[in-house]
Amino acid sequence: MSNEQQIRRIASREVQKIAKELHGVSSVVIATVDGFDIASIGLDGEDPGRIAAMASSVSAIGSVISQEESLGRSRSVTIATDTGFAYLSCAYLPDQTLILNVIADQDAVLGQVAYRCAESVRRLEAVA
Amino acid sequence: MKEYKILFSGTPGAGKTTAIGAVSEIPPVVTDVPNTDPGYAKAYTTVGLDYGQLTLDTGDCLRLFGTPGQARFDFLWRILGRNALGLIILLDNSRPNPLADLEIYINGFGEALRSMPCVIGVGRHDQGNTALDDYGLWLMERNMILPVLPVDVRRRADVVLLIDVLLAELEFHIRKGECSHVE
Ligand SMILES: Nc1nc2c(ncn2[C@@H]2O[C@H](COP(=O)(O)OP(=O)(O)O)[C@@H](O)[C@H]2O)c(=O)[nH]1
Ligand SMILES: [Mg+2]
Repeated sequence: MSNEQQIRRIASREVQKIAKELHGVSSVVIATVDGFDIASIGLDGEDPGRIAAMASSVSAIGSVISQEESLGRSRSVTIATDTGFAYLSCAYLPDQTLILNVIADQDAVLGQVAYRCAESVRRLEAVA
Repeated sequence: MKEYKILFSGTPGAGKTTAIGAVSEIPPVVTDVPNTDPGYAKAYTTVGLDYGQLTLDTGDCLRLFGTPGQARFDFLWRILGRNALGLIILLDNSRPNPLADLEIYINGFGEALRSMPCVIGVGRHDQGNTALDDYGLWLMERNMILPVLPVDVRRRADVVLLIDVLLAELEFHIRKGECSHVE
């Protein structure tokens, strides 16, 4: 199996697991850093391509801010809203960056989502 | 002292990021990441925004914003287009169908173009089969008259010229607006 196939396989497994294990999650998308979805599960029928593009923009702006403030690499961005949140985390693989994006409603617990996403990020980053 | 927000949009690889970098007097804000799309032969692509600043001889300050070119980022076209006083569309004449490319941005900024002056910069104009006049004709068929300029965005003077033409258009728009106000 090629490296790329292996990454995709782990990515689809992680999005499934996150959606199953966490309450209140409406979609989970793993995107390339330039905004293409490579794995997704949309429980509300959202367009994963659109979420992937937005995730890449938000994450890029997060990276600019962390660079300008000399804060090191950006690890995550949270957009907390009136009725839920979007949580984006970056997975730095050896030759690419991926963005794990979780959209959740008020039934979800941010800390739990962040903790669970960090686990998925570690698994993606472990692909040699 | 006045401030103008000017937006650069157009085909990926035409040179929006390069153009803003060529004229900005501050280190530009760049949000380019490695490109994975085989449809565009470029190593890096903008996924957020470009930002630069340029002070004119008059003391007026230009805030230059650039969008990603790909249509999947069109939500940013609207966000970045807010309060912009003018739009510069950059095209790449070496692409298979640059008029189809133009259509993407004319449609994408459709509503905004009614009230906002726009200038078109055609890069790599010595390559490809589309003549500069073809752009003007294409626009005329849609009842639009916009300046179309050949540019090499790597040259500061070319980018400054695009901006000058846009500001002239803006001036004209404002005067026209004032006249119709008086009527
Ligand atoms: N050879 C050549 N290169 C050009 C010309 N115009 C722009 N470029 C190059 O095309 C690339 C444009 O990339 P970029 O600014 O990232 O484009 P963007 O996607 O519109 O932001 C840069 O590497 C420029 O140097 C031209 O007329 N001739
Ligand atoms: Mg760019």
